[in-house]
Amino acid sequence: MIQPQTYLNVADNSGARKLMCIRIIGASNRRYAHIGDVIVAVIKEAIPNTPLERSEVIRAVIVRTCKELKRNNGTIIRYDDNAAVVIDQEGNPKGTRVFGAIPRELRQLNFTKIVSLAPEVL
Amino acid sequence: MRLVKCWFCSSTIYPGHGIQFVRNDAKIFRFCRSKCHKNFKMKRNPRKVKWTKAFRAAHGKDMTKDTTFEFEKKRNRPERYDRNLTENTLKAIKKIDKIRSAREAKHIEDRLKPNKQKQFAKDKYELDQNIHLVLAPGASEKVKVVVPGEKSVQNEAMEE
Repeated sequence: MIQPQTYLNVADNSGARKLMCIRIIGASNRRYAHIGDVIVAVIKEAIPNTPLERSEVIRAVIVRTCKELKRNNGTIIRYDDNAAVVIDQEGNPKGTRVFGAIPRELRQLNFTKIVSLAPEVL
Repeated sequence: MRLVKCWFCSSTIYPGHGIQFVRNDAKIFRFCRSKCHKNFKMKRNPRKVKWTKAFRAAHGKDMTKDTTFEFEKKRNRPERYDRNLTENTLKAIKKIDKIRSAREAKHIEDRLKPNKQKQFAKDKYELDQNIHLVLAPGASEKVKVVVPGEKSVQNEAMEE
């Protein structure tokens, strides 16, 4: 459950370290974002000398949430942290690597590039 | 669908039950129910929690080594369907289960039996501590001791 003001970790090497959600893409007045949803975020912390800078506004897709993810087959998955991958307007990741486990749901949502970069797909 | 074991209590997780927790290093912890999940969140060690399988195995409460456990194994190659084989397997399951439960009951029965060596040592200790209470053979019989000089002294007093 990601809402505006939520801080997220960054699960790629784009250069951002911490994001803060400021808007959820999808519908007007949408309250919460879950895994696979695109959010507008502001970079709160960034690695120096990288293309992305602090206080830059970017788009990101949520890849992990502490809130449980329910699958159609009845399994429930919960992750350790809230994490997102920085993407551009077309949905391609800005970084070249993805860290940590990624859920399979992202493939259906046409984030195949992120899924293929991930070291572990659950 | 695969039946997996709970990380905390080692019970079987049936489809649609429990929850999976994925740590940041992609290790999956599967739990059969919220009780196990909560205990994990409390950072409890399953080997130290009495009701888990891990505790019972670690403390010799349950049978751990047995040939009947060999059947329950993770196999990644799917078996080609064969009617006869399936029939035989289904028959075998019941038989194996019966044998296992009988062996488990025997194990617990043996475990609850008093330890002979221990009992002997305990008895021996008790005897050593309270040896003064034990009468020597023949100690209860009263033996009349005749003192030769006594009679004459008494007689003298009477005479006076």
